[in-house]
Amino acid sequence: MRDSEKYWNPVLETLPPEKLQQLQLKKFQRIFRWAYEHSKFHRKLYNDAGIEPGDIKTLDDIRRVPKVEKAMMRSVQSKEPYPYGDMLCVPLEQVTEYHQTSGTTGQPVYQPDTWQDWEWMAECWAYILYAHGFRNHDRVFIPFGYNIFVAFWAGHYAAEKLGCEVVPGGVLDTEARILKMQEVRATALMGTPTYLLRMAEIARNKLGIDPPRDLQISRIATGAEPGGSIPATKKRIEEAWGAKLYEHSGATEMGAWNFECTAQCGLHVNEGLFLIEIEDTETGELITEPDRMGKMVLTAFDRIAQPCIRFDSKDIIQWSPIDRCECGRTFRLLKGGLIGRSDDITKVKGVLFAPSSVEEVVRGIPELGNEYEIVVAKKGEVDDITLKIELLPEHSAKLNSVQEELVRQLRIRTNLRYNLEFCDYGTLPRYEIKSKRFKDLRKRG
Amino acid sequence: MVEQYDVKLIADKIETLKRTATELKGVSGGIQAIDRNADRILASIKMLEINITDVVDIIDEEQTKR
Repeated sequence: MRDSEKYWNPVLETLPPEKLQQLQLKKFQRIFRWAYEHSKFHRKLYNDAGIEPGDIKTLDDIRRVPKVEKAMMRSVQSKEPYPYGDMLCVPLEQVTEYHQTSGTTGQPVYQPDTWQDWEWMAECWAYILYAHGFRNHDRVFIPFGYNIFVAFWAGHYAAEKLGCEVVPGGVLDTEARILKMQEVRATALMGTPTYLLRMAEIARNKLGIDPPRDLQISRIATGAEPGGSIPATKKRIEEAWGAKLYEHSGATEMGAWNFECTAQCGLHVNEGLFLIEIEDTETGELITEPDRMGKMVLTAFDRIAQPCIRFDSKDIIQWSPIDRCECGRTFRLLKGGLIGRSDDITKVKGVLFAPSSVEEVVRGIPELGNEYEIVVAKKGEVDDITLKIELLPEHSAKLNSVQEELVRQLRIRTNLRYNLEFCDYGTLPRYEIKSKRFKDLRKRG
Repeated sequence: MVEQYDVKLIADKIETLKRTATELKGVSGGIQAIDRNADRILASIKMLEINITDVVDIIDEEQTKR
């Protein structure tokens, strides 16, 4: 296969690492200067830190540039030019797209984009879908309620860019979406891990449709939650659909910045369009070695209306020990995708706890349903964790053995004890876009 | 083995497209049907620049030739 068929852009995707770094420096200098010259917010931020565009001469110099946090974005918004405030780098009349964050961590952040930015969003996604193996012969079904959230909007436009035929699921309910996929013989799909599992459950239980047998989906793009990189969740989704599942990560303020290729050995960072730094969560030290978790700081090089420069994402990631992927891309790999958010990774009973490790256990036990909920609370002075799960009705006789297995595996994976609460099947909340399965009641004061 | 592309030639063609689209706006007489569509064309051309033009001065001379 020629490189021009194998990659969306072989020139960038196979650029030697030292050349990629040169490109990153050049592009950082450009977006930094753009923001400095066009936004009062950025100019003040950088002036206060004593740094200006001419000071960025090496990649190391970038570490001196102050980070931007979501709270800072919130504080300037809802002011003139309304509603974006003075982070905006273009005249309001050049803004053609409005979106906002979901607000799961507080007041939503508004995201203005020019038409060029919107083209760029789709371009980021074009890299993703092409690496996933989407091609112009695919009929792509998008079961997404097109709305103020970015979610799969850019996936829609990228699929069009690839030449796919796109079927927008829009306001159809889940059952109607499944029936439409069957009717049009869709070959590819996009959705969050949570919703993909839910759709398969509804197809089987309510419609009598077995997706691997009755539908023709062969590949699925997923994102927005860590599930696509949690082996037990990935396995469940691939088995439920009889299709390959490929993950990517993105966010409203950042764009879609990584992707899994068909070799499925980790997530490639799109280093031609983004700079990813991983920092130690406590010391802020730059992490360059593999297998060491840290907090991601992201720069998007080409987004101009509201630039994303050294954004403190709070996402926890780690570099992969795999030096070069068999796909031939030179973009570095992440191991395990988004491991969680630094807000969620917390100490429980003195032990560092990541909710995704519980998901790996729950989804790895076939007798349990897909849904679960973790509640951490204070019982006196002691942390108390409750894990709510559902036993599949056909396995109700195995309650005791499942409970024993769950306790054993949770102890091995998380080194913690849990109160287990078996709920009736179908009673835990089901989610369509982002799930909220971890509740830390200790933070409520 | 990584294939090689004539990136400089591609970048020259992108530059020509950009110049033409910009000139088109210059002679549109303010007709919105021209200006707005030319803006969209320019946004697409920007994606070509991101993909190719930005890399031209970074790629080694021998890598830019077939």
